[in-house]
This record gives sequence, C-alpha cells and structure tokens, in this order.
Amino acid sequence: MPLLEVKGISKSFGGLQAVKSLSFAVEPGEILGLIGPNGAGKTTAFNMIAGYFPPDTGQIRFKEENITGLRAWDISHRKIARTFQLSKPFGDLTVLENVMVGGFHHQGSRAAARRKAEEVLGFLGMTERLGTEAHNLTVVDRKRLELARCLATDPELLLLDEVVAGATPAEAVAMMEIIRRIRDMGVTIIMVEHVMRVVMGLSHRVLVLHHGETIAIGEPQTVSRDPVVLKAYLGDRYGRA
Amino acid sequence: MTLVATSVAAVLFLALPLAVTDEYYLHVFVGILYFAYMASAWNIVCGYTGQLSLGHSALSGIGGYISTLLLINAGLTPWIGMFIGAVCATGVGVLVGWPCFRLRGPYFALTTIAFAEILRIWTENTEEIFGVELRGAQGLSVPLKGHAPALFQFDGKVPYYYIIIAMLVGVMAITWWMERSRMGFYLKAIRADQDGAEALGVNSTRYLLSAMAVSSFLTALGGSYYAQYFRYINPERNMGLDLSIELALMGIVGGQGTVLGPVLGAFLLTPAGEITRATLGGKFPGLHLVIYGLVLILAMLFLPKGLIQPIRRLLGRKSAASRESEPAAA
Repeated sequence: MPLLEVKGISKSFGGLQAVKSLSFAVEPGEILGLIGPNGAGKTTAFNMIAGYFPPDTGQIRFKEENITGLRAWDISHRKIARTFQLSKPFGDLTVLENVMVGGFHHQGSRAAARRKAEEVLGFLGMTERLGTEAHNLTVVDRKRLELARCLATDPELLLLDEVVAGATPAEAVAMMEIIRRIRDMGVTIIMVEHVMRVVMGLSHRVLVLHHGETIAIGEPQTVSRDPVVLKAYLGDRYGRA
Repeated sequence: MTLVATSVAAVLFLALPLAVTDEYYLHVFVGILYFAYMASAWNIVCGYTGQLSLGHSALSGIGGYISTLLLINAGLTPWIGMFIGAVCATGVGVLVGWPCFRLRGPYFALTTIAFAEILRIWTENTEEIFGVELRGAQGLSVPLKGHAPALFQFDGKVPYYYIIIAMLVGVMAITWWMERSRMGFYLKAIRADQDGAEALGVNSTRYLLSAMAVSSFLTALGGSYYAQYFRYINPERNMGLDLSIELALMGIVGGQGTVLGPVLGAFLLTPAGEITRATLGGKFPGLHLVIYGLVLILAMLFLPKGLIQPIRRLLGRKSAASRESEPAAA
C-alpha cells in the first residue's frame, strides 16, 4: 500500500496551467526525486500536497485517507512536513527556539518540546549553535535549521524543496548524508532538486515534470537516458542524439 | 538578579502611597500604571503576533460603557459589570479579527481603525438606544455613591492605585506565562513567517484569534477601570483614535513582544505627554501628538526593537532567547 497517492491533480493560475493531471504514488521508505526545468510545476505540486492551496481537480490520499484541500496545519498533524525553497527561519528566535516550535507539535509542555528540539539538533550536528539567533545563520545552516524544525514534528513523509541549493560541493555531500540518515529512520521523502548529482544519487525513483506534465518516471539511470527528458532539459538537438 | 530587581520594584511600588501623599502625584502614577496596563494588553496580540491594532480604544470603550450603563440602569456593581463588558469586547474583538486574520497584509490595522472610528462616531451621535441613555458626545457620569467599595467607589486615590497595580501585575504575569508556553512560541513563529509556522502545524487563525480574545478581554477591563476612576466616560476619551495610537506607541517605543517593553514605554511616554500637554497644550493644541510622531520615527530608526533592547544588553541578557539556551534552565 503506497504511503502517498496523488491522483490526477491539476492547478492553473489564470491562464497558466502550472500542474496538469499529475499522478504518482510513493511507497513507505522510498526517496522520490521530483525534477524538471524551472517552472515545471514542482513547487506547485508540493504546495498542493502540503495544503497551501487546494488542487483544481484530482485527489491526494495519505495512508488511504483523502487529504485533498486540508489546510497546511492539518496536513502537518497528519505527519507530513515540508521545507521551503526560500528558507525563512523565525529570525528573532534562536536556533533552539525555532526547532521548539516544531517540538510543540505533539507535546504541549515546554520541557518536552525542548528535549525534542535538542535531540533533533544533535542529530543534525547543530548543537553548538543552539543559542544563535536564526537570522545570523548562513544559507546552508538555514536549510539545516528548516530540516530540524520539520524533524521535530516527527514526520512520516518529508517534502524537501531544494535543500542543497546554495551549498558548496562539500556541504552538498554532507546534506546527502543527512538525508540518507533521515530515510534510514524510516521517513519517506519526496525531494525537489536541481543538483543532479544529489537527486540521482539519493532517489530510488525520479519523476520528471515539464510544463506541468509528467514526461518520465522511473529509476534514475533509466530516466537520465530517456530522450524525452534530455529534450526537455537540453533542447531538440540533444533529444534526437 | 531578576528576582531581586522584581522584589525591589514590588516593594517600592507598594510603599509609594506612603511616601507620596500629594493626590496630584498619586494621580499621575495611576495614569502611568493605567497606560502600562493598557499597552501590555495591546502587546499580547500586537506585540507578539506583529498584527498592528489601531482600534484597541473601541474595546476599552465597550468595556467602559457596558459596565457604566449596567451600574446606571441596573444598579449592577462594576466589579461584575467590568467582566460582562470584557466578555462582550472579547466577542467583538474576535469578530473583527476573524476575517482579517485569514488575509495577509495590512487589513487588520485598517479594519481596526475603521471599526473603532465608526463605533466612536456612532456613540457620539446617539443620545438613546432601546430606551438606554447614551448621551452622545457628552458622555456618561458614574452616579456617585460616596465611599462604596462594593460599587468600585473609594475615598481618595490610594485604593485605585492598588487596584491598577494588581491589574498591571496580572497582565504582566499572563504575558510572562504566555511567552513561555506553546502559545507564545507559536505567536512569535507566526509573526516571523506565517507560512513556515503553518507548515509546523500551527493553526495560525486560531492562535491569532486566541491572542486577540485575551487582549480584548484585558483591554475592556482597563476601560471599565478608567470609567470608574474618573467617574466619567465619553466617546472621545474612552474610544477615540488618540488612545489607540498612544497604546500602540507605548508598545512599539518600549519594545513589542516583551513583558517589560510596553510598561517601559508607558513610564516614559505618559509623563512626557502629560508635561507637553500641561505646558504647551494651551498655546499649541495637539503638539503632544507631533511629539509622539517624532518619538515614533526616532524609535523606528534607531531602536526598532524598542528601548527594552539596549537595557537588556546592558544587563547582559541578549534576549529571552539566550535564557532558553542556558544549560540548566527549564
């Protein structure tokens, strides 16, 4: 039984069809990569799954429950967490307090939220930054902080939107290692990513979106050799080759 | 350190009426404490969530008018009437907040101004409604009963002084407790990034409305206190735009989203306003508003987090944040 099932969701903004009849399923424990050129509809798809706006048509099911059109906080309470393409930490709170906001998800008590936050920050190797105000963090640390906030909510499904954007190659490798360890904890992951080395290295399967439509889905090696995919990314000349 | 400072402040304030026997000075202190209370109540929704209300005077007016009308027409003691007024103001506050908190942008600020002004203008032009005398712009006088503690009336100012001290301590305790609870964390998260907060399971509408409800309730209690203390209430003073702006200003200049900030703001701005009004008010009416404007501009430019910020740094406490990261805390 798939953990998440997306059945024919569509979304248009005015005349722009951002996502067109998108369907896929994610199995528990899987990492699914979501790739495609800019404007392909990847973030729109995330926003629909995470409850930021409802799809125009179609259905989203999580653990066999229909979650289409639920608000973001309700989605979060069903154990789906997401990061944002542009990480905006709660700037005037410290790193620890940022993560505690996520930690309050299941426990009302401050001590419990704090324990959860410390545990997650320890897992991500950010213990020495507990007291730093979040607006002083580097881009990469902001991404890690966002991940920490998500993990503090104990998600079963994690939607990652470009978590290695802006990272150096070494930092990207470190982030890949973190994502692997999160998966090993039993968290299912859907990741939108532009850095091919990362997405191809981590994903069990890759789904390619182009102009809001699925043009390929399958194992990374197969997809990366698919002529339709090459054409979408690189233009007609390469698609024919 | 904090405990010592708090105890010293508590003793000083409790002993103050023994030293200050001049009624006028005691009156000034009551005024300062009243504004500190009101700015703190405002702070609960506006300071912690970043939603600017410029219509809190309407809530104060609703509280003041309801408790006074209940005393005049039904003989109900303001001790009970003030809570009835507060419940009504809470309902109104939530109704005004509800549509606004579903939107992003300046809608809450605009709606609160509009609502408060409509209510003030309506009250000023209404002599009577359903047989209940409102007396329009003239306002209502609280019937005098002599020394009647059961009816919130006392000889001299000392009892009023202690009542407002108790109210201020109450609102500060609520703020302090809230800041450390899940609600405080959620409100600050909403203030910083509403989308991000919702992704972590924060029902932003519900928490914004809760903060608005608490703030409305407390503000209306303050309005009733004001009416009973002055034994007189009118739309201009008790629900005018001036009052709303003063509360916002004290909160912002002192330091929004902190327990002490609004109190600090009230302690600085109330006397400043009082002095400019007394010395220059005759010659240049409205000058205190110009000065308020200047103070606000300066505060925004140089101390966007309020006067509380440099004081905290001086005391070696960067923010509530650094307390959270002390190893042995919590």
